[in-house]
Amino acid sequence: MVALSSYIIVSAALLGIGIYGLTVKKNAMRLLFAIEIIVNAANLNFAAFTRYMSPPQVSGQVIVFYSIAAAAMEAAVGLALILVAFRLNGSIDVRKLNKLKG
Amino acid sequence: MDLGIPPDVPFIILATVTIVGAILALQAKELIYGAISLAISFIGIAGFFVFLDAPYLAMLQIAVYVGAVVVLILFTIMLVRREVVEETTEHEEGGESSMGLWIAGLLAVSIAGVAALAGPNLPQTVQPANLPISELGPVLAISYPVPLIILALLLSAALLGALVLAKLERGQ
Repeated sequence: MVALSSYIIVSAALLGIGIYGLTVKKNAMRLLFAIEIIVNAANLNFAAFTRYMSPPQVSGQVIVFYSIAAAAMEAAVGLALILVAFRLNGSIDVRKLNKLKG
Repeated sequence: MDLGIPPDVPFIILATVTIVGAILALQAKELIYGAISLAISFIGIAGFFVFLDAPYLAMLQIAVYVGAVVVLILFTIMLVRREVVEETTEHEEGGESSMGLWIAGLLAVSIAGVAALAGPNLPQTVQPANLPISELGPVLAISYPVPLIILALLLSAALLGALVLAKLERGQ
C-alpha cells in the first residue's frame, strides 16, 4: 500500500497546476478547467485522508460526494455564464470582459 | 488490492496520467484537446478512488465528471465559434506567466514538502477496510441530512439559473 504522503504530493501538484491556470490563462474556458482541477485535488485529499484513518471511515467519501455534486452545478452555471458573455461581448477573453471597470 | 506487482507501479502510472492530463488540459493548443485531456485526468482521479477502496466515488467521478461536465464543456466549445475560442488561447504576457508559475510552484512545493517531511509521522499503511457501499447511505441520510437537503435545493436553483442565463437575449 502506498503511503498517505504520496497522495498529498499528487494532490499538491494538481493544486499547483490549477492555481497556475487561474493566474495565467486568459480564456474563460481554461479558467473553468483550472477550477475543476483544483476541486479534484481537494476531493483526492478527502478520499485519501478518510481511507487512512483508523478505523477507516466513510464520512470523507460523503463529503467528496457533496463536492462532486457542487462542482457539477458550478460547471453548468459557469458554462452558461460563458455563453452569455460570449453572446453579449463576442469574446470570452477575460481581459475584454471589463465593462464593470467603468 | 493484491495484484502481485509492487503497489507503487500502478500508483506512479496513475499519478503520471493524472498530472500530465491536467497540464495538457491547460496547455494544449486547441481547447477541444484540452477538454479531452481534462477527461483523461478525471479518469486518473477515478483510478485513485478505486485504489482508496471507494468504488462508489470512482463510479460517480466517471459518471458526473467525464460523463456530464466534460461533455457539457465539449458542447459549449462547439457552440462558441471556433476562431474566437482559439484566438484568445495563447498570448499570455511573459511577466504574468512566470509570476503565475512562481506562485503556483511555491504553493505546490511547500505543501508537498510539508507532506514529505511529515511523511514518517503520517500513517504508512492502511487497515484492511470493509466499507461496503451500503454503509454510505446511513451516513449520508442520518449523519449529514441538512447538507443533503441544501444540496438538493442548490442543484435545482443552479439548473434553473443555468436555463435562465442560457435563454438571456441580447439587450435584456
